[in-house]
Amino acid sequence: MSDREPPPRLRLDALVKTWPGVRALDGVSLSIRPGEVYAIIGENGAGKSTLLNILSGVIAPDSGHIEIDGRALVVRTPLDARAAGIAMIHQELKHVPELSVAQNMYLGRPLTFAGGLLVHRRAQERRAAEVLADIDPSIDPGVPIRTLTVAQRQMVEIGRAMLEDAKVIAMDEPTSSLTPSEFERLVVLIEAFAARGVSIIYVSHKMSEVYRTCSRASVLRDGRSVGVVSLADTAETELVGMMVGRELARAEHRSFVTDRIRLQADGLTRGRHVIDASLSVRRGEVLGISGLVGAGRTELLRLIAGIDKPDSGTVRIDGELVRAHDPRAAIRRGLGLLPEERAREGIVAGRSVVSNIGLPSFARFSRFGLVARRRLTATAFRLMQELGLRPLDVERPIGTLSGGNQQKAIIGRWLAASSQVLLFDEPTRGIDVGAKAEIYAVIERLACEGRAIVVVSSEMLELLRVSDRVLVMREGRVVADLPREQIGEEQILAHAIPRNAHRAA
Amino acid sequence: MNRTDTESALSPAPRRRVRVSVRDAGTLLGLVLIIIVFSSLTPSFLTVPNLTNVLQQSSINACIAIGMTLVIISGGIDLSVGPTAALAAVVSATLMVNGVPISLAVLAALGIGIACGLFNGVLIAWAGLQPFIVTLGALSLYRALALIFTDGSPVFGIPAEFRAITNGEWFGIPTPVVIVAILALIAWVLLNKTALGEYILAVGGNQDAARVAGVPVARTKITTYVLSGMLASIAALILVGRLGAAEPTLGNLWELDAIAAAAIGGASLMGGKGSIVGTLLGAVILGALRNGLTLMNVQAFYQLLATGIIIIVAMLIDRATRGK
Repeated sequence: MSDREPPPRLRLDALVKTWPGVRALDGVSLSIRPGEVYAIIGENGAGKSTLLNILSGVIAPDSGHIEIDGRALVVRTPLDARAAGIAMIHQELKHVPELSVAQNMYLGRPLTFAGGLLVHRRAQERRAAEVLADIDPSIDPGVPIRTLTVAQRQMVEIGRAMLEDAKVIAMDEPTSSLTPSEFERLVVLIEAFAARGVSIIYVSHKMSEVYRTCSRASVLRDGRSVGVVSLADTAETELVGMMVGRELARAEHRSFVTDRIRLQADGLTRGRHVIDASLSVRRGEVLGISGLVGAGRTELLRLIAGIDKPDSGTVRIDGELVRAHDPRAAIRRGLGLLPEERAREGIVAGRSVVSNIGLPSFARFSRFGLVARRRLTATAFRLMQELGLRPLDVERPIGTLSGGNQQKAIIGRWLAASSQVLLFDEPTRGIDVGAKAEIYAVIERLACEGRAIVVVSSEMLELLRVSDRVLVMREGRVVADLPREQIGEEQILAHAIPRNAHRAA
Repeated sequence: MNRTDTESALSPAPRRRVRVSVRDAGTLLGLVLIIIVFSSLTPSFLTVPNLTNVLQQSSINACIAIGMTLVIISGGIDLSVGPTAALAAVVSATLMVNGVPISLAVLAALGIGIACGLFNGVLIAWAGLQPFIVTLGALSLYRALALIFTDGSPVFGIPAEFRAITNGEWFGIPTPVVIVAILALIAWVLLNKTALGEYILAVGGNQDAARVAGVPVARTKITTYVLSGMLASIAALILVGRLGAAEPTLGNLWELDAIAAAAIGGASLMGGKGSIVGTLLGAVILGALRNGLTLMNVQAFYQLLATGIIIIVAMLIDRATRGK
């Protein structure tokens, strides 16, 4: 009897990839049907990125097989992957900013004539326009791609996949910069692709999205596939349990708010990014700030921390006025910022954990001009032990640590500096579920010890877990101040969505 | 995450590591290889007088390269070191020749170096201009000032007392070598043991992160350029003492040799990485190479070729063993 079923669209068999000292992938296998929307989930460090990188040709596996529609495949370069019909939409979109939308869509494989010498720009733009018409007709293929929003650029990437008749489209954290309505658009597109027989691989931390769009999921943990589940039949807690490998206690929020105001910002304004924003945080209080991407939350934190120059407005810490546009002045008064993009603004990757922790404190840890290294290292060690850094090695280059550990180190930096006002910008971005819980516990402890804490976050559950109050920002302004009882997805969205884009439910 | 190392999770205190830089060891190996090669090709290479000569001839470049290393680690570059040296040389030489006490003339030279560095540093750190462009412009500017100051002519008649200082010896080691060794030691302590050193490495590694973390970025950058300028003026004094004259045209292409020494020694032009020991070894490698080829009667053109090849080979080895 011959096979009744078509071969799987994509089959990965026993993929292994080892880096020095770490087995990033330890024999991962999976099988995806044509037209299926398949999730790959797991904590950071579980191997998701490595798997995607192998699939898209960025790195080569040490061993294992890849098959598309039953045909074995050797993928050594990204062009191999694209030629085989595998399209990859990265979390960090890799576009050339000054080139046009169409040029970016044809990057690496331009439409040429005259024997491959000349590029047919207009033909490229025409084809691009055709493809984009189904996805987002408002995009003009002739404009430089840097003029597009992140959501639009993602649509361009999907358009590129369509241009190349992709058979498998892999999406890595596709919604990290999308609004809810943009996400809905994406879902419609995904369903359209699936209906046409294209398989989609969806990698995301956001369980709600995974449950919404995908039918099955591979759960990765420590480089291995610990199970393939049908999402309709598996509860979220069970899934999380598989990812983490242990039971995560559901913690309750505790409040330590007192009466004394520690941080007071008044009338902060910077161009159109932040308009007349004010806030106050008490001793022991955790103030959440929510809002859509681009609402000005990060910009507000940067103004308070002195990194950007305000057009107007003041900041007071413990009643004392802080000099504007002077990060060191703010730090001296007890402020510490934990930026959203750790790699770009948080850590000096090549330096050790100790050096990173000591950055604001070197002057204080010095005697006769020489840094008291032993004292600093001992302090760093103690702090990292308390915060749960694993493995507990403070001499390692900080760039080799996981996201969660790096964040602990940055927290340690401000603890070593005795900072009393901490500004967290998306504290658990890119951090796995297990470490997330630890960070929340740390934030709670810091508040308990009398600090004033601000947490900017896009995750409702996170805000609910840590905040005593939540501010909502919209288009640069603070538009709502919600007490705990009113923190909820609908409430916040009602304030967060710009008026002219608001559609009737 | 795979837990591959659990001992440290249980130890009560951090392990103290004695770190010998692998990269520096590699550079040393390169130097040893060059010495071996030349010793076998020319009998006169491996003699005390000749090796001392190598050190002496490398000392000026080493001096400049130390300053260059600090600037490069902080993420910048200083193309104006040669003309800075020339300006410092002609001004202090003119003072000396006109009866000003030597100590004051030396201070004047240092002052010029500091001023030149300050000019560069302020434009780069406060006005936010690109180091390459600023120091390129300063290169022409300082050169012009030196030429204008002496009307293009060299300054002769350097006092014998001064020359005695720079041409003397300490326990058989030429004074310039001792001076540069001491400067290198100070620079090493500065880079590895002081807050400023941590700041330099942080600014070069990730300037934005350094700023958010409270590092005085502008002050750090300006300091590196000031130190570079000072070291250039010290190198100038050494040369003036040796030659007995100060030419406004001295220091031509000094920046290239300094950058080469720093790069061979492991400094990355992207910033954040570098080693004083490595730079010294790099300077000696260049000096030994030239010395050996001269002993072999190889023409100057081919020496230039060899220098270029060595630099590229060093970079290839670096890439192969370290990645980016």
